[in-house]
Amino acid sequence: MRLRDRLHDLVLLCLCLGMGWWLWEGVAAIDDPEYIIGPAAYYLVNTAKETGAVNVVAAILFDYRGIDTLGEATVIYTTVCGVAMLFSKSKYKKSSAGLSFIARRGISFVVPFLFMYGSAIILMGHLSPGGGFQGGAVFATITILFCIVFGSSFEASRISPKTKETIESLGGLLFVFIGGVGLLAGAGFLANTAAGFPRGQVGNFLSAGTIPLLNVAVGMKVGAGLSTIFYSMVKVLDLEFNEQLTEVMDNDKN
Amino acid sequence: MEAFFAFVCVFLALTALVASEASDILSAVISLSVFGVLMAMVFVILQAPDVALTQAVINSGLVTSFFLVAYSQTQKKSLPKQEKDPGDDI
Repeated sequence: MRLRDRLHDLVLLCLCLGMGWWLWEGVAAIDDPEYIIGPAAYYLVNTAKETGAVNVVAAILFDYRGIDTLGEATVIYTTVCGVAMLFSKSKYKKSSAGLSFIARRGISFVVPFLFMYGSAIILMGHLSPGGGFQGGAVFATITILFCIVFGSSFEASRISPKTKETIESLGGLLFVFIGGVGLLAGAGFLANTAAGFPRGQVGNFLSAGTIPLLNVAVGMKVGAGLSTIFYSMVKVLDLEFNEQLTEVMDNDKN
Repeated sequence: MEAFFAFVCVFLALTALVASEASDILSAVISLSVFGVLMAMVFVILQAPDVALTQAVINSGLVTSFFLVAYSQTQKKSLPKQEKDPGDDI
């Protein structure tokens, strides 16, 4: 048995080291410029001209492959709905009291900066690395910090679950609505400059047509969705314990 | 710079190993969080800053907090069975 454990460890060690070596090989090979072939070369040459976005990844996500992103957003929406439905029970009764005074003060100082960071990632998505998904995840992290440091009832009293639902649904609706504008203009669903959206000056804050708007929509969706998942799981864990306690007490009475 | 890449790759392998092998679940979770940060560094080196942002936020923020909540709600095998106080969990 001990020998088998050792063997198991050895195999795992070899696997991890092998994969690390493989990764390092890939990193070492990155300098060769001849790797940019096929669609990548096309995107690098034509993205700024066609969409007005500096960030090629955002242009591909929200312009060339916009409907794929809509599908992705739908997957997240379905997940959030499923988790919220699974864990939907009546109002929870108790939440934790939160952490110490020092942790609370520290978080209060950090949160405004986090807020600005998330907003910058979303709003500058077409200029610099980032975008709706990343910024939304930062916003969800803020609410999770609130949940942990101040307790889940404080978080719910500041941003109610109903508000989160509304924000998420509004984000999804905004995405589809922007796509529908392209459809109305006769250029196809989620069309960008072809549907008459202004392309602007490449590199300006107000540029790239629909891409910043879609970033905002996805940011609303992802931020509200992820924080809803966390909140409903934490809430039901608090609740479950209380229910078990009342069940035990009922059994004792009978 | 090559030496830095090699260092990050070796450390990635080490943290992955610790995450899979550690008997203490809490150390495994924290090691996985360190793994996520290193992975974000590697993504920056591989010129994928978008993915690096996602990786940093999701893996060291969201996944770690989910795992910690799950950890705080499970009963530990080594500890004697005891009534839990609902107040000291998240």
